[in-house]
Amino acid sequence: MEAIVALERDAQLMLNVREGDDTSFGFLLERHRGPVVHFLYRMVQNQAVSEELAQEVFLRVYRSRETYEPTAKFTTWLFRIATHVALNSIRDRKKEKGHESLDESSDEMLGGLERQVADRQLTIEQEMVRDVKLREVRQAIEALPAKQRAAVLMHKYEGLDYAQIAKVLSCSESAIKSLLFRAYETLRDRLAHMA
Amino acid sequence: MICLSKNEQGAELLAGYLSRTLDAPRMAELGRHIQECADCRGLASVWERLDEFAVPEVSPGFDARLYARIASEEARVSLLSCRRWLWRPIAPLAAAAAVVALVLGFLHVPGTPHSAKQASKVEIEQVAQAVDDLDLLTPIDR
Repeated sequence: MEAIVALERDAQLMLNVREGDDTSFGFLLERHRGPVVHFLYRMVQNQAVSEELAQEVFLRVYRSRETYEPTAKFTTWLFRIATHVALNSIRDRKKEKGHESLDESSDEMLGGLERQVADRQLTIEQEMVRDVKLREVRQAIEALPAKQRAAVLMHKYEGLDYAQIAKVLSCSESAIKSLLFRAYETLRDRLAHMA
Repeated sequence: MICLSKNEQGAELLAGYLSRTLDAPRMAELGRHIQECADCRGLASVWERLDEFAVPEVSPGFDARLYARIASEEARVSLLSCRRWLWRPIAPLAAAAAVVALVLGFLHVPGTPHSAKQASKVEIEQVAQAVDDLDLLTPIDR
């Protein structure tokens, strides 16, 4: 029921934007800015790049306002755009630099960002342990094939169901289940030593 | 109970258990299984490990930057439509002029046999002219 209400609300807001109501675009931005930026951050693992890509996503949403039709859930449409933008960016970065485990800028940021989200009450030792664990999780996710990575991030962090992820990635639901199963198995193997 | 981590349906149930979206009896049943099964505990621990992937706050200037980009794009679009509007009355004339220019251009395109012949003719005329001039000068020299 909550999902239906959310669908109606977001879709209605987008229809309002189509009619020229820019305030509704502000509401949509307020509701989805965080999830989109966070999804992109986990995809590309660089804050500046993720925010730049998120801007591109919302710009595309705004550009599409005149042709928007609520044929699918708004979040499915939104994450379809975000995933498309992220996969393109990953492909372009691979072409530019060759495959890297973590680029320099994200490595530089790692310490700062981890501390930014850190619990200030942790001791230095606890903080170091947590940083190492976080680094391993990031690397394990980054090592997944881009499509698996997108599926895991949408499933785990953004709460999209199998049907939605399937629509975002243009696959069948059964293909998504199998994709996620393989991805979680890979992650289990890579993170086994941390358990 | 068959190990959940051995098949996709099991993994789906396990994901449901970990995201707490299953009904209470199912949650209890899976909870008991996970306690006993090392493989399922391993898969369950992945879900918990992923919780450690924290994300930074979105920059405070995010919305302002986005609205600036939208405004800039809107300005560009209105400029383009303005140009289009200005061009509309003279568009047929411009099209006709373009067609005429194209036809003339085709007739005078360098490298075509016709223009090559013409260039050759011009060259001969120029030489002939030069020769005539020389002829004119010759008697004086003599």
